[in-house]
This record gives sequence, C-alpha cells and structure tokens, in this order.
Amino acid sequence: MSKKKNGPAWLMVLPLYLFTLVFVLGPLVYMVVLSLLRRAEVWGVTNQFTLENYKNILAPVYLKTFVESFRLAVISTGIIALIGYPFGYFMAKLQGRWKQGVMMALMIPFWTSSLIRLYGWIIVLRSGGVLDQLLMGLGLTNGPLRMLYTYPAVVIGMVYALVPFMILAVYSSAEKMDWGLVEAARDLGASAPKAFLTITFPLTLPGLLSGVILTFIPSMGLFFIADILGGNKVVLVGSVIQDQLTQARNWPFAAALSVVLMILTSAMIWLYRKVAHVKELEGLL
Amino acid sequence: MKRLATILLALILFVMIPGGCGKKAETMTLYTWEGMFPPEVLEGFTKETGIAINYANFDTDENMLARLSEAGGGDYDLVIADDYIIETVIAQGLAQKLDTAKLTGWGNINPVFQGQFFDPSNEYTVPYGSGVQTIVYNPAAVQKEITGYADLWDESLRDNIAVIGNYRVVNGMALKVMGESYNTEDTAVIAQAGQKMLELAPNIRLIKNDNLQDDLLSGEVGAAVMYTSQVTLAMLQNPDLKVVYPTEGVGFGIMGTFIPSKAPNAEAAHKFLDYVLRPEVSAQCFEYMGYYCTNKAAESHINEAYRSFLTLPESVTGGEMIQTVSAEAEEAHNKVWTEFRAACGN
Repeated sequence: MSKKKNGPAWLMVLPLYLFTLVFVLGPLVYMVVLSLLRRAEVWGVTNQFTLENYKNILAPVYLKTFVESFRLAVISTGIIALIGYPFGYFMAKLQGRWKQGVMMALMIPFWTSSLIRLYGWIIVLRSGGVLDQLLMGLGLTNGPLRMLYTYPAVVIGMVYALVPFMILAVYSSAEKMDWGLVEAARDLGASAPKAFLTITFPLTLPGLLSGVILTFIPSMGLFFIADILGGNKVVLVGSVIQDQLTQARNWPFAAALSVVLMILTSAMIWLYRKVAHVKELEGLL
Repeated sequence: MKRLATILLALILFVMIPGGCGKKAETMTLYTWEGMFPPEVLEGFTKETGIAINYANFDTDENMLARLSEAGGGDYDLVIADDYIIETVIAQGLAQKLDTAKLTGWGNINPVFQGQFFDPSNEYTVPYGSGVQTIVYNPAAVQKEITGYADLWDESLRDNIAVIGNYRVVNGMALKVMGESYNTEDTAVIAQAGQKMLELAPNIRLIKNDNLQDDLLSGEVGAAVMYTSQVTLAMLQNPDLKVVYPTEGVGFGIMGTFIPSKAPNAEAAHKFLDYVLRPEVSAQCFEYMGYYCTNKAAESHINEAYRSFLTLPESVTGGEMIQTVSAEAEEAHNKVWTEFRAACGN
C-alpha cells in the first residue's frame, strides 16, 4: 500500500463515521438531555434542568419493574441455556447436509415478523387452543389449561424468540473446536463425561457466555412479548417507557428510564468482557 | 454496466411516477386513524367534486399533535382525533374556525355531542362518532348479574375480566365506584382509587387495547370493559352477550373533525365535511366504523341490524367526559396503573 491511497480510503470510511455520529450518538445525546428536563404541563418539555426524573425512578413501583425485567431475563436465559447449549453442541457434530438442514430450519422463522409468530403462540396457548386440544385429546388434562395470559406463557414466548441466538453462539464455538483434543483425552483414558467437562465445556464456554449475553440483554427489552402473551400483566421497564411516551406524555421520565436501562445493560456487557476476556461476541454474524 | 442501467432505469421510473398523472388534480389531505371511512364514501366524494383525497394515518393522538405542531398547523386539510387532544390543538392555535355557512348539514349534528369541554361554543369542530366505555359480559360464563362497575369487584369473577389498556378509563372505574369524578386533580383521591384497584386485580385476566372482543368471544374471559367499536363487533358475532351501561355513570369520548390553522385547502375540507354530514353518507360511515352516531338525521338511515348498537340510549346521555388533567395528577394515575398491572400478574 502506498501512502497515496490512504487519503481516499479514509474518505471511504467517513460516511460510516458520520452515519454513526448522526444516527447513534445523536439520539443518545438527545435522550440524555431530555431525561434532565422538566415536562411541560400538557405537552412537550420545558427548558428547565431537573434531576426529578431520576428521583422518580426510585419509587418502589418503578424499581419493581426493573426487578421484574431482571427476573424474567434470568429465568428466560436459564431455560434458553439449558435448551440451546446441547442443541448447538450436537448441531456442530452433525454431518454436512444434516447440518445445513438444521441451520436452515433455524433461519426460516426469521423470514416472518416476530410479531406474527407471537400471534401464532396465542392460537396454540389460548383456552381450547391447539395445546389444550392436544392435551385433552391425549387424556392428560380434563379442562382447558388457561395458559394464555400467564407467566409461563410469557416465558415460553421469550424462550421461543431468543433460543436461536444461544444455539448459534454455542454452535459457532463448538464448530471451531478441535475435536482432536477430545479424541486425545479419550485415548489417554478420560471417560466421556470427564472429557466433556475438562475439554469440550471450557472450550465452548465463550460461546455459551456470549449466548447468555445475546439473550439476556434483548430479554430485558422485549416487553411486547410480555404484553401480548402475558396480557400486559407482567410489567417490564420497556412497557413503562412505552406508557410514558404514548399515554402519560412524560417524555423526560421515559428518557430517564431508558438511560438507566441502557446503563444496566452496558454494565452486563462490561461484566461479560471481564469474565470472558474477549472483545467480540461469538456467533454474531 | 448492467447495474448502471438498472439504477438509471429506477431513477427514471422514480421521476416519472409523479409526472405520470398528467394534469394535477385538486387534492385534500385527510389525517386520521386507519379505517375511519368506508372506501365508497371517499370515492363518492372524489367522483362528485373531482377532489382527490390523500388519506394520511396516525396511530395515536399524541403522534398527530407532534406532527401537526411540527408542520405549524399546515400540511393537512382535515384532521379527526379525540376530544382531549383537540382541546390542546385549539389551545395551541393549530385549528381554524369553521365557516358554518358552508356546512348545509350543520343542523344534522346531534346536539348531545356538541358544546363539550374541548369546543364549548362549537366554533372549531364537527363531531364524528362517539364512544362509551361499557361492560360487556357473557351470561353463560358469569354467575352474577352485572349492572355497574362495582360488580366487577365480585369474587365470582376471579381471573375472568378483561379491560382495555387505557388507564384513565380503568382507574376511572375505581374513581366512579368511589363516587368521584374521572377528572379529579386530587392525588390523594387517585392514590385511594389505586388501593381500590389492587382489590380488583385478582379478577383481571387480561389488559389489552386491540381486538379485545376476540377474547370475550373465544371464552378466554367472561366479562370485558371495552370500547364501543369492539362492543359492536362482539354483539354482531354473539347477540347473547349483554351490554351494561354502568349505573355509576358512563364515561364517553367524542371524536372531532377540525381544520388545521394553515390547511392548504380549507375550501375542500369544508366540502368534505358537508358531504359527510349528509344523512345517507353519514349512516354509511357509522355502519363501517361501529361508533355511536353523532348525526341525528343519519340515525334513520342506519341498517336496522346495527341501529341499536350505534345509537346511544336516551338514558345514558349524561355521562362524564375524560379530560386532560394536570401533570401531577397524570403521574399519580400512571403510578396507580403500573402498580395495578403488576398486581394483576401476581
């Protein structure tokens, strides 16, 4: 590369930086500024500086929504890890065409809007719906379960929406792994569980951890799943933010809630980097 | 080279589309929610006057106000929105006074829906539909006879009620049971209503805004507090359902039509308003929308199958309207609501 070419190359990147500046940093700054202003009596905001919005978050009712978001994220991520890790692991062991087939099966649902797929779950879970008919047909239950609009329904929705991210993250790190190491361990007398625990698991741990991050963080924000499948009864931070914007017309408070939520999720990513000693998330395509 | 040709072709097409229409026809921009007019009515107007209608949508009143104030009261010729937001629109000077001389059908309007808080002397708006929050229940799925909001607190209704997601309406039920106004500014009273709501929480199965009638029809819940358009849809599918105008008094809302202060074509907007005020046209609109008819002269033109759903019984005309309250009261409502929703989930 001669020096001459550096100029234009720099220019090529410029639009990208400008784009980031305008469309990422801009709204972020706007949000932070908004969160420090006082709301106007009826409509919009005034130019007065205040910390009131942050103080309001400390009300037990709003703190509880953070706890609730966290709790749901932990439960969902736990179940996702239990399903996604073995899935990703065995998927990496599949041969050629099978592997492609499974990958395809994972990808196809993404072609449809996630909202539409959630409505599909309503049909499955509602009273007298597909699930009820199946269970009653098999004689396992006598009456409708009334699963829709309950906490388990919300968890099912979360797991369903996010499990592919865990699978792909685990898959990509299991795929990269040198299976020769496992064979060597087995040749040297390690039992299968021992080989898994000492070789495979540590080597796929970065994938698992990045899967945890890739599912935990979105699950803090996927409030529409809780709204649709939970009948608006599981109150997450995202849902309160939406209420503030669309009904209460309290933009500064919505902004303050968003800022705090972002700080919390950023802290999660920071923690992940500390624990996993990596800069990039595995499985991010 | 091939790609370049494609891009050029795309550009040419892009440029040609607006030019392709030939002579520029007179247009009018109508700004409201989706599905407020049957296509025949819009087409009929264009056929009669030659004025093409550009139907622009918003999803919430708040978005409409944001867009309209950005446009400084311009861009749109006619807006239909809810009562409380119109109060703000008028206060901000974003609406213009109607020229009632141009509205031959002015006298058709049902006076019950006029002279309300958002436009006390009827200078700015023509009402276009009204909604009442009613309780609808399926007598087969509910043991108790429901006559008012207070009955919803009954233990036999455990996990069997659905409500719309509008907190002024739902908190308002508790306020009404307590004998208070929907629009009380007293935060202590609102907090007290909040306590009352927590007692209601175990009975609530579901809170949602869209298509709530489906959950009543499918048997997911036995009783629901719904918007008028949903009540109409529910009743058409299951005439055995019972509609209750709560004894505590009903809350009602009015949708109003107004012309923005700098409307590019206010003349056409007046023509359209007058067209929609015609009894036959109006009847078509209300059959399509499923809201209470605000046009007295149109009532007799409404198909008999719908008429009873679309005209407000004489006895319930004295309802209280939900109005904008102070920021402080609004925050109190919001807190109560968030607490209530969380309690419903436990």
